[in-house]
Parts: sequence; C-alpha cells; structure tokens
Amino acid sequence: MYAATAVFWVFSFRKASKVLGDKQIPLMATLTAMFFAAQMMNYPIIGGTTAHLLGGPILAMTLGPYAGLISMTIILLIQALLFGDGGITTFGANVWNMGVIGVFIPYIVYLLALRITKSRSGLLVGAFAGALIGDVLAAVFAGIELGLSTLSFPYSVSIAVTAMATHHVIIGIGEGAVTAIIVSVLQKTRPDLLQLPKLSPGWLGGA
Amino acid sequence: MTGVKRMLMVGIILSSFFVVVGALWLSNSVETLDQVAEHFGATDSPMWNPPIPDYEIHGFEGNVMVNITVGIVFTVIVLVSTFAVGKSLRLLKSRA
Repeated sequence: MYAATAVFWVFSFRKASKVLGDKQIPLMATLTAMFFAAQMMNYPIIGGTTAHLLGGPILAMTLGPYAGLISMTIILLIQALLFGDGGITTFGANVWNMGVIGVFIPYIVYLLALRITKSRSGLLVGAFAGALIGDVLAAVFAGIELGLSTLSFPYSVSIAVTAMATHHVIIGIGEGAVTAIIVSVLQKTRPDLLQLPKLSPGWLGGA
Repeated sequence: MTGVKRMLMVGIILSSFFVVVGALWLSNSVETLDQVAEHFGATDSPMWNPPIPDYEIHGFEGNVMVNITVGIVFTVIVLVSTFAVGKSLRLLKSRA
C-alpha cells in the first residue's frame, strides 16, 4: 500500500505546489489543525463502537484533492509517530484509505454534482453523498486490506468488508451531514473558499 | 487583525474547543477496525513505541487538564507544521 500511496504523494506534492495560492495556505493549516483536533472527539454509534469525523471531504472541497491529501497525511503521520494511533507499517494503507479514497472520492462526487445540478440544493446533496460514499469506500478498502492480511487476520475479505462497511454507513451519514452543513455555511459566508474548479485535476477541467 | 491572522485564530479557538470536548465528554474510543480485528483474534505487536501513547503522558493517565494541554499543544504544532509545508510548496513553485 505504501507504493500505491507514494504515487499519489508524489503527484499531489507536485500539483499542490502549482495550485496552492496565498489564501489556501493559512486555510490548509487551519483546517488540518481543526480536523486533527476533531478526530479526538469520539461519538458512540452501534455495537459499542465509536466514530469520529475524518475531515477528508471538507479538506477536498475547500483545498482540492492534492492539498487535501497532504493535510490528511500530516494528521495521520503525527498521530502515528507521536501517539501510536494508526501505526507505522500500516501508515501507507491508512493514508490510502483516509487520504486517497477519503479525499479524492468525495471530491469527485461533489464536483460531478456541481457540474450536473448547478443549484444550491444539488451542491449540498453532492457534499453529503461525496462524504458518505468516500467514508464507506475507505472502510471497504480497510476491510479488503484486513482480509488480505492472512498472516495476522485469518478471516476472509467478505467478512472484514461487511463488518467495516456496515458501521461506516452510519459514520458516513454523520460525516455527510457535517460536511453539507459546513459547505452550506461556507457558501453563504465565504464562497471564495469553495474554488473547486481552480483546484481540480486536468481531467475534471481544472489546473 | 488581517484575514490570515483571523483565520488562524478562529482555527486555534475551534480546535481548542474540539480538544476540550474530546477530553471531557467524548474521549472513549472503540474504533470499528480495532473491534473487528479483536473480534476475529488479530493481535498487534507494535514496532514503534510512541512518546505519548493514546494521547496520554506517562504518569498523568486520566488527568484531564494534562490531556487538554497535550491536545492543544499538538494541535498548534500541526497548524505550524502544515503552514510550513504550504509555504515550502509555494517556495518550490516560485523557484520553478
């Protein structure tokens, strides 16, 4: 997973240096710190488990996917190195799940909704759906990775994926609701911070 | 106060609020991945001993004020680190 993630790191660092403006750097620092802190708030869901916001969807929708991946990498790196939250050998997989899937998928869904609907309600539906789909897909990838770790995890991919995806539908609904609320507030108060087309990959019509 | 300073201040204040709420009321963490792994008998053998395991300083476990301080200090470190990374990327752009 390190190798697959490294491709996105190289690509994102190169592209982020081109699209990040003076306005985005303090925003990137602020949002990264906020979601680092927000990930410390664990709310109960089902089966005695807890969940927390990931933040990938909002990072993607305000900073674009390249800077969003870099922000999520910084959060996960500090959590792993200083707090033992996530692990070193699993760092590549964690960044893949929460940084690549958890940032790029919400971004693509949101941008497509923006292109298709061009209305405020469509925008919010796109923000909600992007966050929900991103969270569930990130969990599906985590389940696949766990299921394929045959040395330490003697159960099939289907068992692990089912267990992870079921819980993360609920987590995704929470993330989707928060994402849609934040996008709605930003659209009303600071629409200049939602400059997605400028921060898009070329194949989506951006830089 | 400039827009940038205001944005950073709002970020620090909101982040501090999240840390306090997380430490006081929402600190119990039972993540799905951990529960699934434990349920199916997966065990871990850490290769790395982090300096602040589980966000608590050795000898001060359960001390909410210490946990809040740790959370806020490292949130500021994340903010400064990300700002430095962003500035470095801009520097790369200007040199290119």
